[in-house]
Amino acid sequence: MTPRRTRAKDAGTVAIEIDHSAVRCAEGVSVLRAAELNGVFVPSLCSHKDLSPFGGCRLCVVEIDGMRGYPLACSTLVQEGMKILTDTATLREMRQEILQLILSEHPSSCLVCDEKEACRENVHTVRKAGVSTGCRYCPNDGQCELQTLAERLGVNDIHYPVYYRGYEPEHDDPFFDRDYNICILCGRCVRMCQEVRGTSVLAFKYRGSKTQVGPAFGRNHVEAGCEFCGACVGVCPTGTLAEKASKWDGKPDRSEVSTCPFCALGCQIDLHHKAGRLSKVHAHLDPEINDGQLCVRGAFCLPEVTHNHGRARKPMLKRGRYFREVSWPEALGEVTARLQGLKPEEILMVVSPDLTNESLYAAQKFIRSCLKSNSIDSTARWALPGGPGVWADLFSLPISIKSIAHADSIIAVGLDSRFSFSVAGVEVRRALREGATLVTIDARYSNLARYAKHWLQPHPGMEGTVLRVLAERLVGGAREHITRPAIDETGIDKWAVERATEALAPGENLAVVVGPTAFALDAELDLAKALLQLGGREGTTVLPLFQGANTRGALELGVLGELLPGLQRAKGRRVCLADLLEGRAKPKVLYLVGESPFFERPECDFLIAQDIYLPPFEVDAFLPAASFAEAEGTLTNVEGRVQQLVRIEDLADGAVTGYARPDWFIFGALAEKLGRAGPQPKNAGQILREIGTKVAGFPASPDRRPRRLQLNTRIPWEKARTGSPASGQYHLILEPGGFRHRGIDMSLAVEGLSELALEEGFRFHPDDLDELGIGNGGRVILGVDGVEVSGAAKADLDCPRGTVWVYRPFAYGGIPQRANLAPLYRFGGSLLSVTVSGPGAPNAEGAEAQVSAGGGGEP
Amino acid sequence: MPFDPFAEIVRGFEGEPAELIPILQRVQAIYGYLSPESVGRISRWLRISENEIFGVATFFAQFRFSQPGEHVIKVCLGTACHVKGGEQILDVLKRRLDIQPGESTADGRYQLERVACLGCCALAPVLAIDEKVYADTSVLRVHQMLEERENREDA
Repeated sequence: MTPRRTRAKDAGTVAIEIDHSAVRCAEGVSVLRAAELNGVFVPSLCSHKDLSPFGGCRLCVVEIDGMRGYPLACSTLVQEGMKILTDTATLREMRQEILQLILSEHPSSCLVCDEKEACRENVHTVRKAGVSTGCRYCPNDGQCELQTLAERLGVNDIHYPVYYRGYEPEHDDPFFDRDYNICILCGRCVRMCQEVRGTSVLAFKYRGSKTQVGPAFGRNHVEAGCEFCGACVGVCPTGTLAEKASKWDGKPDRSEVSTCPFCALGCQIDLHHKAGRLSKVHAHLDPEINDGQLCVRGAFCLPEVTHNHGRARKPMLKRGRYFREVSWPEALGEVTARLQGLKPEEILMVVSPDLTNESLYAAQKFIRSCLKSNSIDSTARWALPGGPGVWADLFSLPISIKSIAHADSIIAVGLDSRFSFSVAGVEVRRALREGATLVTIDARYSNLARYAKHWLQPHPGMEGTVLRVLAERLVGGAREHITRPAIDETGIDKWAVERATEALAPGENLAVVVGPTAFALDAELDLAKALLQLGGREGTTVLPLFQGANTRGALELGVLGELLPGLQRAKGRRVCLADLLEGRAKPKVLYLVGESPFFERPECDFLIAQDIYLPPFEVDAFLPAASFAEAEGTLTNVEGRVQQLVRIEDLADGAVTGYARPDWFIFGALAEKLGRAGPQPKNAGQILREIGTKVAGFPASPDRRPRRLQLNTRIPWEKARTGSPASGQYHLILEPGGFRHRGIDMSLAVEGLSELALEEGFRFHPDDLDELGIGNGGRVILGVDGVEVSGAAKADLDCPRGTVWVYRPFAYGGIPQRANLAPLYRFGGSLLSVTVSGPGAPNAEGAEAQVSAGGGGEP
Repeated sequence: MPFDPFAEIVRGFEGEPAELIPILQRVQAIYGYLSPESVGRISRWLRISENEIFGVATFFAQFRFSQPGEHVIKVCLGTACHVKGGEQILDVLKRRLDIQPGESTADGRYQLERVACLGCCALAPVLAIDEKVYADTSVLRVHQMLEERENREDA
């Protein structure tokens, strides 16, 4: 184990002198940092607050009394009594020279061109179509660190011959382009990828003048396992790495701090906008959650999701055979007419757990007080396996994302942080750099397993039992003890558990992170018991993760029919989503709010959809909802923070901007039309204030403090799910996956996401495929309880022998191969026992799955 | 237990990242080059990403990434050979064999290398095929030489 680094807070301070003024600064910081903290500018292109000193650009040379030559400020640590000069004539001259050397390998007309002033003014020429004149090979002109520095250091000319490397610009990966001709090899992206993200897709390769950044063997980033977190793009001081979607947008007008609407971590983001439109997203340096890091969704998907040409922006009604655009009053009139005079069980509203707190509260209030019904449900239920009781108990534990980084021992269960919950993975890595010990419990190899001291690999579905064993060893005091046979059943060697316990036990601060995959594998009750047991230990933080951005808000604000806001029991008759799916109820009107958990139109007389995209089946009325950028509101993250979504697009209604309205506003307008409620809220803040007064423990204004759920009466836990039919030699794992946002899978709007190849077929261990005589990409037939599903097989070394893995997305619609998997979703659980056979002839393409129905599956 | 050559390769190593270079050297000593497959195996074993391993390996001139050819053609680009047009000799070989220095032809017959000096500057420009040194070469002679070799091997 590496010795633990002294944290800054434990260290004392030293007195130093910078440019003849005496200052104090913390011990153990670099001269560069000390200067920065005291407002002294020292130029640098390769240093970064999160990265180790590199000394690559040589621009931060300083003079220090008693030290030979010109030491680098970034790699020299401050010492008591140090006398530092940062801005002498010699240093200025040296820096100009160094920058010229850097620029001699950088096409630099936008930095040192004689015409640059006139060029910048006249670059946008007005003709019949917008045209740009001037050299346009760098998308970063005007927002480039190198350019700013050249101006600041007064470099107007280059005395060296300029060398052009002549690399082919790389455009074949999704999300960002790379042009290594303008790379200055500062190494920020490489260190970001290796040190902070732990992905190590980027490395320096070759050497000398041939040095280049990129993955091994000339692979592209998708092949090399890139997470597309965008951290490298964010730290690049040049235009080498440029986001595709906003590449030539130019400098944004302004930016606002908002919350990422895509998952329950609630990362803080800077929304850059230009001419009133969202242009790009940068990670906000928020010390509470993400501290400058994001995942692929947050970094690249926001502008595309809200601006995609497929956005439905106008109210629509079915008129005879046509589905046509209508005005808001007409649409509201038709919908209210249909909602009038319904019995409580004749309506069902299905609400997405991605809505804001305000919209969730308004939805349940509309159903309960306007329509006098309790028939409201949400797919939040699916995201919280085990039921509200389990999760209400889990949310009352100390949950903290940033505490993970300060943990000494970490247990990660069923978490792969490549494309989801990446920031949690970054926090784990941060703790490991400080010397923490990681134990992973995972049936499958995960990206965290690479850094784990011990990887416990149980049979799928046994993660909960293993965690309970660890909890028992580390904390003790459980009511029911784990028996020896139960341990043997997990498939883990007894000694491996002992070794893992030994590694974890010395840690004072323990962090337990449980990913949604583990919860889905019928292990939720065991996991919850273990988490409750561990959470009771002093210095422990837990992080149970689930799908949906505001699932916790959905639980607290009463969109699950049986619970009122504040988790009070609701009385009265109701229908729920399961009733509809299993054919026990047939409501007359179905109202889908940002959600379409069906493959095809469910049976009902009148179907209302309110979303940002049209559902993939026929509806009778469509009400366009405002997206995260077009409406304000708040989201509740996993820790209970109530964080703000900022409205940045408030352009007037029109053909291009559309006629979208916030969800809560639509409910208010409908209630007004129905004439059954008093004055409607004018803004989101008003609703949040109402929530604050009506719901115990919920803040009345955005409040970024973590909040433990306080319950007066415990909600009973649901019974454990009964096992799925056992019929085969393979375990089929339906892993929660996909990129859901509201009713759609984001990969429908964001092309890059579909290139990440998450949806490709059934994944097997290659040896299993050999045994079955099926080639990679060949067709397999899975049988379970009379249902047969076939699809492409994919060899995946990460899958354990005897298992088949396939993604079970929460957003069903729009992707054809998902509809073909529908018969599998009929079984409640995510862990099925299946028979596997090959049809003999391997299919080289094998892209789409086909189904031959048995036992009443899809045709 | 089936025979696993990789287990033989890492015999005696602890699995520490610092052992990367000796392991790479052993892999190259056995297979003659570093294949993507062996780099993948090393990556899993040492828990270093393939990209970082590639970065380290490409820094050193001693590692190869393509299978060694049957015959090694060394083109001298030392001072004397450079002056006498060694660059053109290399160019013509690159074009004719369709490979870059350090690589091997698709059929595995030739491997092309550039060297700094073969120690016989009076004979410049020189190239060597395996151990045999060809003196005073020219573009025309390179073509002839390769054609002769091919005819001989075909016969």
